[in-house]
Amino acid sequence: MRKSWVVIRREFLERVRTKWFLVGTVLGPVLMALLIFLPAVMVSRSGAERAIAVMDVTTSEFGQRVTEVLDERGRLQATRMQVEAAALETTADSLAQAVGRKEIDGFLIVTDQTVEDGRAEYRGSNATAQIEMEMLQHFLGQALLTERLNQVGVDPQLVAHANSVRLDMRTVTIRGGEATEQSGEATFMLAYFMWFLLYMAILLYGVQVLGAVVEEKTTRIVEVLVSSLRPFELLMGKVLGVGAVGLFQLSIWAVTARLLLTQRDVIGRMLGLEGPAQAFPLPEVPVSTIVVLLIYFVLGFFLYAALFAAVAAMSSTEAEARQAQAPVTIFFVIPSVLSLMAMLTEPDGALFVALSYIPFSSPISMPLRWVVSDVPIHELIGSIALLMLGLLLITWIAGRIYRVGILMYGKRPSPKEVWRWVRAS
Amino acid sequence: MSDQLAVELLGVTKRFAGHTAVRDLDLMIPTGSVYGLLGPNGAGKTTTIRMIMAIIAPDVGSVRLFGQAKRGRELSQRIGYLPEERGLYRKMKVIDLLVFMAQIKGVSGRHAKKSAVEWLELLGLSDWVEKKVDDLSKGMQQKVQFISTLQHEPDLVILDEPFAGLDPVNTQVMKDVIVELTRRGTTTLFSTHIMEQAEKLCDSICIIARGAKVVDGSLRDVKREHGGSHVVVAVEEGVESVADILDDRSLVSKADNYGQYAELELVDGADAQRLLHGLVSSGATVTRFEIAEPTLNKIFIDLVGPDAATPRAEEVPNNA
Repeated sequence: MRKSWVVIRREFLERVRTKWFLVGTVLGPVLMALLIFLPAVMVSRSGAERAIAVMDVTTSEFGQRVTEVLDERGRLQATRMQVEAAALETTADSLAQAVGRKEIDGFLIVTDQTVEDGRAEYRGSNATAQIEMEMLQHFLGQALLTERLNQVGVDPQLVAHANSVRLDMRTVTIRGGEATEQSGEATFMLAYFMWFLLYMAILLYGVQVLGAVVEEKTTRIVEVLVSSLRPFELLMGKVLGVGAVGLFQLSIWAVTARLLLTQRDVIGRMLGLEGPAQAFPLPEVPVSTIVVLLIYFVLGFFLYAALFAAVAAMSSTEAEARQAQAPVTIFFVIPSVLSLMAMLTEPDGALFVALSYIPFSSPISMPLRWVVSDVPIHELIGSIALLMLGLLLITWIAGRIYRVGILMYGKRPSPKEVWRWVRAS
Repeated sequence: MSDQLAVELLGVTKRFAGHTAVRDLDLMIPTGSVYGLLGPNGAGKTTTIRMIMAIIAPDVGSVRLFGQAKRGRELSQRIGYLPEERGLYRKMKVIDLLVFMAQIKGVSGRHAKKSAVEWLELLGLSDWVEKKVDDLSKGMQQKVQFISTLQHEPDLVILDEPFAGLDPVNTQVMKDVIVELTRRGTTTLFSTHIMEQAEKLCDSICIIARGAKVVDGSLRDVKREHGGSHVVVAVEEGVESVADILDDRSLVSKADNYGQYAELELVDGADAQRLLHGLVSSGATVTRFEIAEPTLNKIFIDLVGPDAATPRAEEVPNNA
């Protein structure tokens, strides 16, 4: 046991000391922070101080109305310019120069044509800013509607009343028979994020175990090691060591994600942002979700790490191991993708429930179910128990393959031979 | 008796799928000796060593180390093992690697570090303590591997083909190390298929072929028993002038005539002095008359035959 500890320590320290670990650990939270704050930064930078000119070539009051609507409701500074149709191009040129000198951000051209067939034109330096253009279009459309209703003689007050309503539909997730504060979109974001995290972490760290086993085998260090400790102790040390690195990294990510989300207003203010402006709804990450995530990562990682170790032990070279890992990887990818699809199509369907019980898919499926739907606690415990049972069986088989395989060189064993290794006493 | 044996194998047999790697092998390695396990490739040397190290278990028979029935793993602190194929963790720092290799054998971290630094100094690698293994030349990596085998001051050192792939400088380092270890009372067991090295270093040997023992014992006894009498003769007039004496089949069983000198093998029990007397009384001027010990190589080829090597079969246990 003490010797397993030496192996665990080596695996952990050697991996944590690498540049990749540092880069990965720091990059995770940085990307999350960007995801959370970048839209807010962009909105606060753009929204406030856009100055545009409204080039009014109309003969009606439409130009005037557009300018008022934009100025009042559109977080814009809009200035109207009355222009004769004949002078349109020369004025446009001089306004373009003004945009070039950054005196204004752009200008909107409205003509009598606009009222008739809805055609308008905006030229500006921010023409590619999706949100701003949508806003401009929205208010222009409102002004247009008002103008046309006025033309057919509808009471202006009635029009103003109709226009004053804004549609705002909220989506709310129901859990445990109660509505949560969480929007459906945010729940989906969190589930998708967790899927990605688990998928990457189990696969990446599982493959690291594969690499570690092959390294020891090709360098024959394994012979010296198994003359000092039992093959199973060695295998356990490796899996626990690599797993500890994964758990460490994942915990750092999970905790920083939670901190970033719960403290985002505080951090936002520190960054000089006004209000929680965000491009999409952000989820809350309850502690229970983090715990479920970590439990399933650990168990799922152990399961696949054991399989990867067995596959590595059967191979004599790195190239061979890379080939041999493909079946295990496919074995992992297919249930993972199925889980994601089941979640998207039928979060309460039988397939999703079944996947959350099968030990090969539950490490991914159950955390997703936990986030998107209401999982009774006994189902969670049942799934964990099944996974542990599967883990014991797989580890037992993998350990036996590993024990014989690490000392074998030469051609790849046939399935029949591998079965004989498993049965060998 | 057995407390004077560092290693004792009794009736050890190991079968792999398709063939028997080691068959009913008895091995007695006296404490403090330098013991050579000799045999052609595929004779079962590595399998025997792996069983001594408890890396694999024999199907039949027993392995005792230091007179105890304990398994090799429990005694790993008293054993240093250099496998046939070499390798180290390439990305590790030299010092971290050595400390790890010592700790895995049960040495405490602090003690391991101290002795690793001493060894690195001894073998001229002081400047490389904090370097990664990858940055070392192949020769330096070999030295690091010696250190990893010997740093915990084992009582028994087991070296599988220790000279394979070594450059001349490191071959000398390795030999010096073995001599020094013997002086300190360490038991050394090494396997080789190169007889010249065994002849220089060993005091006892065991020759195995096709998994079975051919001969064992002290080098002197083996030579005496299996050597026969070898005589090298040169005469001033040329060997041809005494051809009739060399053809005497009651005295000489085989003569290799090289013109300037001849190598003779005497008939069993024949007296070399009678041959010398015959030569002198024939009037020839004898310039060289040497009763030579046979080389181990010759004994080996005589006993095992030139085609003793068997292809290495796959080592799959069939004791399912």
